[in-house]
Amino acid sequence: MSRFAPIQIPKIKSPSIRDGYRYGFSMPTDRYEFMSRPGLSKRVVEEISFYKHEPMWMREFRLSALGIFQAKPTPIWGGNLGTINYDAIHYYLRPTTGLKRRWEDVPVEIKRTFDRLGIPEAERKALSGVKAQYDSEVVYGSLRKLLQKQGIVFLSMDEGLREHPDLVRQHFGKLIPPADNKFSALNSAVWSGGSFVYVPKGVTVQLPLQAYFRINAPNAGQFERTLIIADEGSSVHYIEGCTAPAYSSESLHSAVVEIFVKKGARVQYTTVQNWYKTVYNLVTKRAWVEEEGEMVWTDFNMGSKLTMKYPSFFLAGKGARGETLSMAMAGAGQHQDTGSKAIHLAPHTTSTIVSKSVSRGGGRTSYRGLVSISPQARGSKSKVVCDALLLDPESRSDTYPTNRILCSDVSLAHEATVSKIGEEQLFYLMSRGLNEEAASKMIVSGFVEPLIKKLPLEYAIEMNRLIDLEMEGSVG
Amino acid sequence: MTKYTIRKDEERQIVINRPGEYAIELVGEGARVEILGALVATGSERLVVDITSLHRVPHTSCDIFIRAVATDRSQVFLSGMIKIGRGAQQTNAFLRENVLLVSPWARAEALPRLEIEADDVHASHAATVGKIDEEQIFYLRSRGFSRTVASKMIVDGFLNAVRERIKH
Repeated sequence: MSRFAPIQIPKIKSPSIRDGYRYGFSMPTDRYEFMSRPGLSKRVVEEISFYKHEPMWMREFRLSALGIFQAKPTPIWGGNLGTINYDAIHYYLRPTTGLKRRWEDVPVEIKRTFDRLGIPEAERKALSGVKAQYDSEVVYGSLRKLLQKQGIVFLSMDEGLREHPDLVRQHFGKLIPPADNKFSALNSAVWSGGSFVYVPKGVTVQLPLQAYFRINAPNAGQFERTLIIADEGSSVHYIEGCTAPAYSSESLHSAVVEIFVKKGARVQYTTVQNWYKTVYNLVTKRAWVEEEGEMVWTDFNMGSKLTMKYPSFFLAGKGARGETLSMAMAGAGQHQDTGSKAIHLAPHTTSTIVSKSVSRGGGRTSYRGLVSISPQARGSKSKVVCDALLLDPESRSDTYPTNRILCSDVSLAHEATVSKIGEEQLFYLMSRGLNEEAASKMIVSGFVEPLIKKLPLEYAIEMNRLIDLEMEGSVG
Repeated sequence: MTKYTIRKDEERQIVINRPGEYAIELVGEGARVEILGALVATGSERLVVDITSLHRVPHTSCDIFIRAVATDRSQVFLSGMIKIGRGAQQTNAFLRENVLLVSPWARAEALPRLEIEADDVHASHAATVGKIDEEQIFYLRSRGFSRTVASKMIVDGFLNAVRERIKH
């Protein structure tokens, strides 16, 4: 090809299913560097390890996890997992070679995808650093110069393993071992991508770090692995967003996120999960919080076919704090089985879990949670509030909390309510000139507002817009 | 398991005096049920109360109020489930579980659960587990009561909130 030949820009395939999902487009996969054949086997796991030039211990870690995955039965609680076809999934999709540091170097299809999702714009405006993962690999990464100088590490997990092997080996799989559950075993066997974050002692990262996860190929499996270490007295806010094309075939996303919050440190982890409605989202997230440390999970689930995710914190040091703010919206064909786990292991620890869910169009939301206060956690406090809103008679809402108290010097309170949009509220708003749809939207916005307020402004605006889109046409 | 069926327009109060599994089914419109329990676990007892309230038809209501005191090395397990079936509109359901731990070795587990498949309903639950409030003890001691008597008064007051509602 002459160097003056026009660059071929592939056409974006637009979704055939019209359901108000803005991110349903996809790009061709014919230029992918490697795609594993569908199905899971020892060979696939070895291929992944080979392509990544991994150390021996990681290859063995993967193979042993594969055995655990195959041996463990499928959980029968939560959502319906019996319908996952493991043989149809591609477990490793390598779209391109290497991670790019400059946006210009990213291959054109991928660049167009992320442009359409608004990533570079967001990066310029409100972020300290960005990672963009496309199917199995992180294809682009950046971190502001100033932060690099302060010793902050923000790499893809694969780079982290290469550049900080000791730190990774010390922490990897220690909080969520492969045998924790069937899907942590699956992730441990075939993990690829994700982020590795280290914040040095006393450093506060002012603007959030963002990771963007995009599934592009049909029948894709995405298994990112994230490890965040916040050293003593440091503070960081990590945000992840997820979208996928509108395929009628099913995809599988199963991540593992481990967070170590050292003495006096603070980590906030925000998820805006907006997968297409054919993605299984089965994720294990856990934080270990030391003395006077604080962990905040802000977990927003709107997409996917089935989500099972219960971000947890072990309050392991005296005075440690944990907070989960969980919001779930389920529409037709969706089941959001979400919640949180608070494990109090040390004295004077506090946990707060606030969950808000909206079910509509036959969708189902379930809150599933655990508060466990161990004998040595004297003077601990825990408060759990679950509110559910049902928008029509076809939808369903469940609450399944477990409160296990093994120490008498505690205070635990749990409350939950399920309700519908009040006729009086609607009547009042409609008498002020709003139509029913606008009035319903306003009530739902007010219902979730206490959680949205915890997000940085740009994200709060985006969330409100997404909720409006979800609610579009829900009345009538 | 003890089963109760509440029929059309029936209004019933059920008092739970001993541990066990209780299943309450509301099968006729206008059925109303109040379930009360004030229990004390002593010694190394493992006190288990499991209550399920199943609403199959519209216009039913259920109010569950259980309080338990765990003393010595006892363990209290309170499990409650409110199920509102599809089409069981205009249901009112409330489940309340409170546990007071009066010994440092006492333990408790509370599982208040909801499964709701109708939208025009009021369903809620609340559970608390805690110890005796030191401020209340302080107040009573400042009025001349010994610590032992003050604790007993607080425990009685805690259980009386349920007992007062029991009709004879």
